[in-house]
Amino acid sequence: MPSPESIERVRAGFLEDLARAASEADLRTVRDRYLSRKSGLVPALLKAVATAPADERPRLGRLANELKQKIEAALAGRVQALEAAGPAVEAVDVTLPGRVPSVGRRHPLTILRERIEGIFLRMGYEVLEGPELEDDYHNFEALNMPPDHPARDMQDTLYLAQPIVSPTHTATVLRTHTSGMQIRYMETHQPPVRIIAPGRVYRRDNLDLTHTPMFTQVEGLVVAEGVTMADLKGTLAALARELFGPGTAVRFRPSFFPYTEPSAELDITCTTCRGSGCAVCKRSGWLEVLGAGMVHPAVFEAVGYDPERFTGFAFGMGVERVAMVKYGVDDIRLFYESDLRFLEQFPS
Amino acid sequence: MKIVVPWLRELVEIPVGTERLAEQLGLCGFEVTDVDLAHDVIDVEITANRPDCLSHLGLAREAAAAFDAPARSPDLGPVDRVSAAADTTAAVRIEDADGCPRYAGQVVRVKVGPSPSWLADRLTAAGVRPINTIVDVTNYVMLELGQPMHAFDFATLAGREIRVRRARTGERLRTLDGEMRTLDERTLVIADAERAQAVAGVMGGADSEVSGATRLVLLESAYFDPNSVRRAGRQLGLKTEASARFERGADPAAQVAAIERACVLLAKIGAGEAVGPVIDCQPAPRAAREVTLRRSRIARILGFEVGDTEVERILRRLGFELAPATDGWRVTVPTFRVDVTREIDLIEEAGRHAGYDRVPATFPKLTRLEAGLDSRIGWDRLARRILTAVGFSESMTFAFIERSAAAPFGPDAGEPPVAIANPLSETFAVLRPSLLPGLLDAVVHNRRRERHDVRLFETGACFSARDAEARRVGFAWTGAALADHWSGRGRLVDFFDAKGVVEALCQAFGVTADFAPLEAPHLVRGRSAAVAARTQASGPTQVALGLVGQLMPRVASARGYTGADDIYVAELDLAALARLGGAVEDVRAQALARHPSAVRDLSIEVDDTLPAAAVRGTIRGAAPSTLASIQEFDRYRGEGVAAGRVSLSLRLTFRDPERTLTEADVQQAMDTIVAALAAAHRAVRR
Repeated sequence: MPSPESIERVRAGFLEDLARAASEADLRTVRDRYLSRKSGLVPALLKAVATAPADERPRLGRLANELKQKIEAALAGRVQALEAAGPAVEAVDVTLPGRVPSVGRRHPLTILRERIEGIFLRMGYEVLEGPELEDDYHNFEALNMPPDHPARDMQDTLYLAQPIVSPTHTATVLRTHTSGMQIRYMETHQPPVRIIAPGRVYRRDNLDLTHTPMFTQVEGLVVAEGVTMADLKGTLAALARELFGPGTAVRFRPSFFPYTEPSAELDITCTTCRGSGCAVCKRSGWLEVLGAGMVHPAVFEAVGYDPERFTGFAFGMGVERVAMVKYGVDDIRLFYESDLRFLEQFPS
Repeated sequence: MKIVVPWLRELVEIPVGTERLAEQLGLCGFEVTDVDLAHDVIDVEITANRPDCLSHLGLAREAAAAFDAPARSPDLGPVDRVSAAADTTAAVRIEDADGCPRYAGQVVRVKVGPSPSWLADRLTAAGVRPINTIVDVTNYVMLELGQPMHAFDFATLAGREIRVRRARTGERLRTLDGEMRTLDERTLVIADAERAQAVAGVMGGADSEVSGATRLVLLESAYFDPNSVRRAGRQLGLKTEASARFERGADPAAQVAAIERACVLLAKIGAGEAVGPVIDCQPAPRAAREVTLRRSRIARILGFEVGDTEVERILRRLGFELAPATDGWRVTVPTFRVDVTREIDLIEEAGRHAGYDRVPATFPKLTRLEAGLDSRIGWDRLARRILTAVGFSESMTFAFIERSAAAPFGPDAGEPPVAIANPLSETFAVLRPSLLPGLLDAVVHNRRRERHDVRLFETGACFSARDAEARRVGFAWTGAALADHWSGRGRLVDFFDAKGVVEALCQAFGVTADFAPLEAPHLVRGRSAAVAARTQASGPTQVALGLVGQLMPRVASARGYTGADDIYVAELDLAALARLGGAVEDVRAQALARHPSAVRDLSIEVDDTLPAAAVRGTIRGAAPSTLASIQEFDRYRGEGVAAGRVSLSLRLTFRDPERTLTEADVQQAMDTIVAALAAAHRAVRR
């Protein structure tokens, strides 16, 4: 039968034992003697309290619990004191450099491409890839550019010396855009269509500050009933805000592409001056970032869609161009030089 | 196209200043590249579909629509004419109406000399060099109306006649630029009774050029077929102001007006007097094109309403004629608008001038879940994740390279790389057969810039005549594998560093890779391996994945590598990795081992030519299924080991999922393994 006195006796005993304990092993023994769930004195006390008369139980319970907490705290304190007094390990100079594992960087064009892919995935697009060696039909003809069409001059094209026959097509040109993939998709799918086609494209352009003969494009295509130029604007405005920040405004300027009509260039608020006019935007406050438009009915006719029933929009952007604007790169050739001093400026 | 603003203002009333005009033109689709306020000139780009705007008149119509202002016609006469005699009369015969649907001519008695300054200055402002009164007036008319013109010295035209015909095979002509040209029979020429005097629509001939001695000229104002002119220009390598307009499409109805305008100007500057009437030869006049524009279609495309009166105002200002139809308009397209052939073209005109700032911003309706990422993008991303995690940065190099750079890398021995028909230069002559030449150049680039340790990778297409294109991942590694640190020296990359990365890549794709010694001309023998996938389905057959090894120093130095350090490279076929590995994310989680394992070390002595893989194979073959793993942890040659022999130490781990293995179990397994090694490889236990 516990009593305040018997609890006090346990306490006194503990204090004596604690005073004698000189090592961690001694402390473990003391802990077992008093706190062990099976054989400890304190758990036994607590158990006995349950059999005390009801009017004494709360007080005895409180005393026993207080004792338990005191013992735990005292033991923890002694363990820490012992550790602190123990023999010191040799100190290291924590200001010396650590062994940093080398972590590589993604290419800035990859970072941006994945970002763009992510934005369109969120908007419910499928992301497609297609062949880089194309046939004339998918690169030009189906896109409303029959042979001898003046617009073919707009994209100086690189041709293969010999055609390459593959199971899918006979390649003759290095694709000048990824639009061929859109044709391939429409040839095999009925609307609704909601795709982007990223990839490398080729033009017969000399290397200079703003041109490379190979560059990265992301083209998009949406076809369904009731798609309008307003849907195009909303989509591209969302893209621009995601890429260049929430304060970015957009505007359309009319332009010409054989495969879209109406066609437009998309300008965004200049990222340098935020629209007030500077050298980067030639004082206009705007930067041209991509071309877009409503899919030309001739393209729908080429793939067997009814242009009366379906409408759609298409857009295409050079990822390098966007990267130059976004990252403040003034020489496009840097993207293709593999200079680690450049690459390592971008996040992993 | 340089717009001389005062010239434009003669043709349309513009209520704003030059800067505001330039801005508005930009918003109508004419990209402004320069505004020269000092000379009052705006330089705009004209898109390929708008040849009519390669003229002040065309841009005046745009300004008229943009500012809702009336356009004014230039002075077209009436022209004072003197009557012609037999020797001042020209005959025109079109022998090829496909190439030349219309040809107008006018004989003019001229005074050739310098033009007055207002005319010369205007041409100069427009970027055209003044030459003499006659040439200047033809250029002026072209820049004003868009109709190219040419003037022949009439005295040089044999038979006083013009024949529009195809050139005879091998026919020669000295063009105005002094070049003697040999023509082919598809080239359209302007000939006299005897010989070609001009390449139609491209350039005149030197023999009929207007000179100081010229007294009579024949002015030419024709319409030539765009394809015919484009072909001739390309064949002769000539691009002129005239051919630029004809090949995109001139106005088939402007010929006579252009002659009248030229005569008015010649009379005005006292340089010429029309002799006889205009000769207008047009075998088959064209009917004007009519296009229906439905009211309801406009908003269905543009996403906003353009009111009827606004549609009518815009189109009329641009030169279209409109008649009401049941659900819209019947629109007559003016002859100069060669780009407008169907309804959508008219909708664009309405939208363009209504202003795209009125297009609201909405989203297309989402009606189903699309498929997501192309699997090939997934392969790239997986490879990239592994390689960046182990210290490689991503490189992107051009897919076309120098022939000599490609040569050591295949596609296969003896197979030439895929060549480009019209490369920009020899630097970009062939499509890469491998990612390694680009990566090698990238290593050299970095080494030249004091970068000692280089780890670079690339993913991308490689090309061959057989497979067209194949997606691969490749890497190059030189310099440190382990960097120097204050606690100890680092270490240079060796074969096993590179191999380890290949193994990690294969593992990530769920592929078990086998390595076999490889002899390839661009790799160092003895430090290179072919990588193949072991497949369960196909039994003992293996599928080639690629290679890993040390790049031949000769190959590196041929690209300008001057370093002494080894370069290790690897290249793997991503499509094969993905195909063989299958869906790595389709995981069925295995139960974790509940019983302890037993570990035994085994040291044996074998011939030092014996591949480690053979030892592993023998052990695997002899061991019970409880053998969980084999790990080589030491390899030693030298004192205590016989010459030609090597001591191998292996750590074998045994585990049974159902029970704890007894000492006897493990001992029995070890005995069997040791016996098998002795039998197969004369292995001696140490």
